[in-house]
Amino acid sequence: MSPYMLIILIFTLGLGTLITLSSSHWLIAWMGLELNTFAILPLMAQQHSPRAMEATIKYFIIQTTAATMLLFASVSNAWLSGQWEIQQMSHPTPLALITIALALKLGLAPMHAWFPEVLQGLNFSTGLILSTWQKLAPFSLLLQIPPTSSFLLITLGFISVLMGGWGGLNQTQLRKILGYSSIAHLGWMILIMQYAPPLTLLALTVYIVLTSSMFLTFLYNQATNINSLAISWTKTPMLTALTPLVLLSLGGLPPLTGFLPKWAILQELTKQGLTPVAALTALSALLSLYFYLRLSYATALTTPPNNLPATLPWRIIFKQPTTFLAVLITMSLSLLPLSPSVMAFFTF
Amino acid sequence: MKYLLFLLLFLLILGVVGVASNPSPGFAALSLVMVAGSGCSLLAGQGGYFLALILFLIYLGGMLVVFAYSVAFTGSDYVEGWGTRRISLAAAGYLLLVWGGGVVLSTNLNEEFWTVGASFGEFMSLEYSLVGVAHLYMGGGWLLVAGAWALLLVLLAVLELVRGASRGAVRVV
Repeated sequence: MSPYMLIILIFTLGLGTLITLSSSHWLIAWMGLELNTFAILPLMAQQHSPRAMEATIKYFIIQTTAATMLLFASVSNAWLSGQWEIQQMSHPTPLALITIALALKLGLAPMHAWFPEVLQGLNFSTGLILSTWQKLAPFSLLLQIPPTSSFLLITLGFISVLMGGWGGLNQTQLRKILGYSSIAHLGWMILIMQYAPPLTLLALTVYIVLTSSMFLTFLYNQATNINSLAISWTKTPMLTALTPLVLLSLGGLPPLTGFLPKWAILQELTKQGLTPVAALTALSALLSLYFYLRLSYATALTTPPNNLPATLPWRIIFKQPTTFLAVLITMSLSLLPLSPSVMAFFTF
Repeated sequence: MKYLLFLLLFLLILGVVGVASNPSPGFAALSLVMVAGSGCSLLAGQGGYFLALILFLIYLGGMLVVFAYSVAFTGSDYVEGWGTRRISLAAAGYLLLVWGGGVVLSTNLNEEFWTVGASFGEFMSLEYSLVGVAHLYMGGGWLLVAGAWALLLVLLAVLELVRGASRGAVRVV
């Protein structure tokens, strides 16, 4: 892609999120979301394969449907309450509709079916942007709207954790696995949103760090399915040793960073008196843990049959810089002892 | 004046029936022009001149033209219009429907019951389109620049999506 085009698109991606994050008027928030949608479409279609084009078109249709629902709900709210402030919504129907529209934008269950397929059609860098940057703007809106039906949010959250775990069990393609893991983590974030919004931000940030590590690891190894992941140990022994730990961190095991948001969320849920919900969600997270374990098994705990020349790629110097990946992996493995300061960072 | 109003309303309904009953998009677009022309004249007669002008410019002169060019690619050999029996029967059926609906819905035929702009309860609003556009350009500020950037971006995104060996379609290879 021409560098001028690339810089315009990346600039607009940043501009759109910034506009939505700093808006107090629903029309401005919608404009930011539309900017994000349109700016990422050519990035998704870069590869020009039928699968990439299909993913682009699916993404476009889903996002514009969600944006139209959002616009309809905000106009209804303006009709009913006379003003366009995001934080002053007062009527329950537009509130519920906006929550559902934003859930469709994010890929929360039961509106999650598009996400793994769209992710499968993209290369790893664009998929990374889709999984991390594109979640910021809808979350900023969800965090600002007044409390809505608690049943809706708990249902969205719990079903997302369940579907994210369950759906990922039968996958061998790594991008689809990362898609289902995204759905599960978003479920955790939505679950706690009405009780402790700082924990949502904590979960979002930790998730972004963890999933960026995984996307960049797979990008470095050029591994798109479990089979290619299994033979990628020959490329970088160091990364091979760390990848299972990052995967277990995604699964939420102590003493790794991924444990922190789950711990804080379960604690807050029990404090609010929702112990059955907390227990069921923790049990559903076991499903995700299973396929993370399967990936770490394939990466480092077994060595598939191979011939001798194929075990020598580590001798070749890779040109891809790994500084950022190293920082991300360090953060995703070792932030748990810093929990008090990490949590204080998000409490405002 | 009543005769002019009657003529415009008649052309409006006839045009709408034409849009609904024509399977060929070319004829339907032609009926749409008739609808837009008569509807805009009605609107202008009631005081909504700015909206009528903008509709002609953007809707007919922009969107319909693009539609007509796209439709021109899909030319078919045997175009059916109001000449065939099937379509003329359908058009007559739609006209009957409109007439019946008018008879059912009209209670007092001598009352004037339309205006331009909407008033609902205590929210009075008259024809404010022109003032609204002026306010947009006057008070929009940097947001107007952001809006213009959004429009430019959509153009660039579409051009990027169709760039390829032969421009004009979403490129798959």
